[in-house]
Amino acid sequence: MTGTSASQPSYLDVTKGLFSWIFTLDHKRIGLLYLYTVGSFFLVGVILGVIMRLELFNPGADIIEAQTYNQVFTLHGVIMVFLFIIPSIPAVFGNFFLPIMLGTDDVAFPRINLMSWWLYVIGAIFALGTLIFGDGPADTGWTFYAPYSVKTGTNVSMTVLAAFVLGFSSILTGLNFIVTIHRLRAPGMGFNDMPLFSWALYATSWIQLLATPIIGITLLMILAERVLGIGLFDPAIGGDPILYQHLFWIYSHPAVYIMALPAMGIVSEIIPTFSQRTIFGYKAIAYSSMGIALVGYFVWGHHMFTSGMSGPSAWIFSLLTFFVAIPTSIKVFNWLATLYKGSIDIEVPLLYALAFIFNFLIGGLTGLVVGALAADVHLHDTYFVVGHFHYVMLGGTGFAFIGGLHYWFPKMWGKMYNKAVAKLAFAIIFIGLNILYFPMLILGVMGMPRRYYDYLPEFHTLNQVSTVGSWIMVTGLIIMLVNLFIAHRKGKKAPDNPWNGITLEWQTKSPPPLYNFDKMPKLAKGGPYNYPNAKNS
Amino acid sequence: MEHSFSLPNSGHNYDAKASKLGMWLFLYTELLLFGGLFMVYMVYRALNPDAFLIASFNLNVWLGTINTVVLLTSSMTVAMSITAIQKGNSKLSLILLALTVAAAVIFLVIKYFEWGAKIEHGFWPGMDHFTNLPFGEQLYFYLYFFMTGLHGLHVVVGMVFILIVMKKIKNGSQNKNKNQLLENSGLYWHLVDLIWIYLFPLFYLIH
Amino acid sequence: MSNTKNNHMEDSYHITGYAEHFGTWVSLILLTFMTVFISVFGADLNTLTVATALFIASVKALVVAYYFMHLKYDPKIYRIMILIVMSMFVIFLIMLIFDYLTR
Repeated sequence: MTGTSASQPSYLDVTKGLFSWIFTLDHKRIGLLYLYTVGSFFLVGVILGVIMRLELFNPGADIIEAQTYNQVFTLHGVIMVFLFIIPSIPAVFGNFFLPIMLGTDDVAFPRINLMSWWLYVIGAIFALGTLIFGDGPADTGWTFYAPYSVKTGTNVSMTVLAAFVLGFSSILTGLNFIVTIHRLRAPGMGFNDMPLFSWALYATSWIQLLATPIIGITLLMILAERVLGIGLFDPAIGGDPILYQHLFWIYSHPAVYIMALPAMGIVSEIIPTFSQRTIFGYKAIAYSSMGIALVGYFVWGHHMFTSGMSGPSAWIFSLLTFFVAIPTSIKVFNWLATLYKGSIDIEVPLLYALAFIFNFLIGGLTGLVVGALAADVHLHDTYFVVGHFHYVMLGGTGFAFIGGLHYWFPKMWGKMYNKAVAKLAFAIIFIGLNILYFPMLILGVMGMPRRYYDYLPEFHTLNQVSTVGSWIMVTGLIIMLVNLFIAHRKGKKAPDNPWNGITLEWQTKSPPPLYNFDKMPKLAKGGPYNYPNAKNS
Repeated sequence: MEHSFSLPNSGHNYDAKASKLGMWLFLYTELLLFGGLFMVYMVYRALNPDAFLIASFNLNVWLGTINTVVLLTSSMTVAMSITAIQKGNSKLSLILLALTVAAAVIFLVIKYFEWGAKIEHGFWPGMDHFTNLPFGEQLYFYLYFFMTGLHGLHVVVGMVFILIVMKKIKNGSQNKNKNQLLENSGLYWHLVDLIWIYLFPLFYLIH
Repeated sequence: MSNTKNNHMEDSYHITGYAEHFGTWVSLILLTFMTVFISVFGADLNTLTVATALFIASVKALVVAYYFMHLKYDPKIYRIMILIVMSMFVIFLIMLIFDYLTR
């Protein structure tokens, strides 16, 4: 590695101590701060999920009562959605890698970046605060539907405030990435020369920016009704609770694309590297990300088909929902075409990427089922929906996150983990996931409602299967995490490009120096997936 | 932390265009934030057209008009203050900004009297007169207080932003060659004006 | 150490003159009085009143955006972006009211 001066220390070594982390302006450290906090909340969310599955092992109240169960699934949802999934990939891997992928040394607004993380922490503290004060955490579901959310004595106000603060954090991250992508690309790197993960982050950032304010104001309305008596959804005076649902889902549907697009971006990075060739259909994938972002704004009504909205309105939303599946499937075809006749390396990140495709296929297809108005009448608020969204969110985004972590681990820390253990953990997680969630699809069709701590005897066996699946999956997760933790401490030193990666981030040191590059990054002539490595040069 | 080369596209360089883009992006979020309230307004007015009309008679059209003129004028003064600094006239720029802040204060004072009168007559949620209102009128007033209240909050924020920029002009860090922050504060101020441009007819001019 | 990008003024190609700003102000005041006049002295137009009021408000908004906010002289991308954002919002309004109109 020839630099024009002595090689710089890595970003990890350049300063030490707690304050150098929590007051850092380095996008890489901010990415890691997010990793640790987001990861911690993921674990809390998992524990809540395990508790729910334990309760559901048998009908009736086993370990917790109905009221507590309502609070557990609410907190599970709030934590998983607002504290884990929505920030996850953008805030962790976006922060760490976007500047490197663009050939620059930081994001456009490093101080705003730090503020985003601080807002995340404050929002998290508010969310945890609901455990301590008054009547305990909210029991409304993470969706806070009026009028119950306005009436209940539980800590809805504090939860809603937490979500508001977290939303602001999300907006600032999106804003930062948009400006970074517009203004800080390396000279010679046009929009169509950026890696697809950058495109995914670009599309995602626009959703974060434009959709989040709507839920911001909606949550303020709930707060206003609880605190000031401004009853905008109060049915007693002609207010419409369905209007709340409209406003809530105008954000929360695009939010699922905040979850999905970056995940697909990671898959678009992993597959070329482990096929040792450039991605098939670069523009199709790039533009389909923008297409999903755009169409995704106009389908929110499919979450409310049975709410009392008008028939014609429901019909239109159902029709638009089918359109949004098209750009997604384009991506799947392109990934498969990339793999076809590629030089495949079955490494851990590729396993997660392939599993993503499998899981997202199930999740996406079941999404079409509930997107069909007639079917949804029967399936709304059943376990079919729960199965559907866990397949896309955990089987999809969750797997992409873990896969990304295994892919970029050596780059981030300069160490390698035990690959055999990682592969074993993957297998256990994958099997566990499917045993956990597939039965839910069946239970839903059989008619089991969601958000109930109790159920009819005919649902017993499948619930037990599902709960066992949760134990298997959690076991896999623990093995995976311990493996990475050990590697983080004392893993073998990794070379700069252990996967023979063909993108720009593998051209710099592992771990990168503070300003990302030791010498001016030289852009590859053949596009973002054409960089040299030991195998191809 | 030295490094031997500096990237032309470094994120650590001052970039006025990035700053401008960032401000516009933030404005989009503000537009959509208020947008949510306009959506609620649209629905409830469509469902309660007569009640909204009757409720609007409780507002004083002339006070609303004066406030509109005040904000429009303040938009002019802040825009002119940018012209001034770009022409190198920091002193004029400061005077124009001071006028802008004065206009903001006038707006808030008028709003204070308007709200005060309402509350005095019992038109606040929970008060007797309020709960006896027809439902549509209650919804009107919920929206009136929420939207003008949130707008007023943004007037205060905009005012503080401008005051900060005034300080920077005084100490020279905003000047003829570097004035994107002033321009950004102007953009924010125009947004405040824009929102009022819609609030005014929707609440005061229903007839 | 820091090479400043574009440290000359943002709109080096165009500084809006005082006269132009004043002219913008005049047109906004005129539009304001027009809308107040129609409302206070106009006939019972009902739905048309909303449409007219919103139309005039939108003209005012466009004037503020184009002249005071400098969109007229900014790179085209800014006009495109605001157009997209406002179009999205309008579509939200249309899709939302459609529910209530067809209930």
